[in-house]
Amino acid sequence: MTNEMNSPLSVRGLCKNYPEFQLKDLSFTLEAGKITGFIGRNGAGKTTTINSVLSLIHPDAGEVRFGGLLREEHTREIMEKIGFVSAGMTYYTRKKLKIITGITKTFFPGWDDAVYRKYLESFGLSEDKTPAELSNGMKIKYALTLALSHGADLFILDEPTSGLDPISREELVEVFLRLRDLGKTVFFSTHITSDLEKCADRILFLQKGQLKADDSLSAFQAAYRILECSGSVPQEVEKAAKGICRIRDGYTVLLSKEDADPRQTREATLEEIMVHLEKEGETC
Amino acid sequence: MLKLLKKEFTLCMHPTGYIMLLGALLVLIPGYPYPVSCFYMGLAIYFICLTARENHDASYTLTLPVSREDAVRARIRMACCLEAALLVLIGLMILLKQAIGNTPNPAGLDAGVALIGDCCITFAIFNMVFFPGYYRDINKPGKAFFLASVAVFAWVALVVVATYTIPFFRDVLDQPDPAFMSDKLLFTLGGLVLFVAGTALAENRSARRFAQVDLSL
Repeated sequence: MTNEMNSPLSVRGLCKNYPEFQLKDLSFTLEAGKITGFIGRNGAGKTTTINSVLSLIHPDAGEVRFGGLLREEHTREIMEKIGFVSAGMTYYTRKKLKIITGITKTFFPGWDDAVYRKYLESFGLSEDKTPAELSNGMKIKYALTLALSHGADLFILDEPTSGLDPISREELVEVFLRLRDLGKTVFFSTHITSDLEKCADRILFLQKGQLKADDSLSAFQAAYRILECSGSVPQEVEKAAKGICRIRDGYTVLLSKEDADPRQTREATLEEIMVHLEKEGETC
Repeated sequence: MLKLLKKEFTLCMHPTGYIMLLGALLVLIPGYPYPVSCFYMGLAIYFICLTARENHDASYTLTLPVSREDAVRARIRMACCLEAALLVLIGLMILLKQAIGNTPNPAGLDAGVALIGDCCITFAIFNMVFFPGYYRDINKPGKAFFLASVAVFAWVALVVVATYTIPFFRDVLDQPDPAFMSDKLLFTLGGLVLFVAGTALAENRSARRFAQVDLSL
């Protein structure tokens, strides 16, 4: 088990209060060389968490360590080892990639031009293009190329697959798996849970600013079962339900493994777990 | 810092930063409040900040291994480079004007040594008002620029009035060179000191303010 001091990223007691939203006492520790999926609906606090982790916003409480180093005391060393990629990567849209790269590489002592060329070719990127001329998927690949070329060990990805077509998403998932094969740690926020089912080792589930689950993907999925009910939901099932959703011919009910009859229920997908848990407490 | 400065000039520079250097040519106009060319450079600096906002420059910069403080200092020092370049060009235009025949300026100080000091003070005022205001919220540079413009034009107007009403301005600074050269040099040196000290103060205040700001990517 990874401890806080040698974890690529360890967060303890993170709090951020906004008038309309609170991030509440968030704690987690990433495992090195694994892909951790950070899920939750829009507005659950995923981006607030990432912004706090990167010190773009100031948490009201909590501690963030990268490899045991406190973020605010070791900005330079830490940022040299982080690759941050956001779906909203829209900087310098009219500058050629070679100009952006030419500036970026001067900040990283570990920059490797051979690696940069390799990924540029592998991703089919032309340095003479500008970000404005790239598709969303290609923008993310360019950001990943920069991160890979400066020797990042930890990749923090904020909704990287949002807005991409299924094929581009599949390509990116393959890239994340390649990163894991290289021993890199990937922290990947998304609300597109099917992408995580293909690549994540662990899941952090955030709901209304609170961490509801921190487990391996398999254990998280195994903890729940889905019961499909045509017509109404029996009262005893409704009492045990972790969430109920309306479907075309009736309802689907999320049950904890202990409350479910394996013969009458089936495995739950990550999306079903997330959607049903969001409806916990609501009656049908 | 040099890397950040290079980044500022390569990625954040707006063409008006260079175009407004032509404002030095205004010194060749017979009657004109010459420090207005400093305002035009301030306008270019405002455009640079606007362009930086549109290009999500802060998001990019803060994912580099640099501190917020250094990011602020780099932007202000880039502005100072442009301001210093304009001061040098204004100096050259003053020399040119004196060579081809200087005429008294009814709208402020004549084109002479004291004008350099006047321009230094104009830039000091702009930097002290604009940058701390801008770094309070980098997404709203307009308010900071408005306040800086008001302060700059108040100073320009004050100097114009002073050349008619205040003896030191009227009878010493606004006299053709080389008369009262030691007083003019002292005034210009004072302006230069104010420019350097005021900008350093603006840097510190801006860095402190930016350190407190919440950003989002």
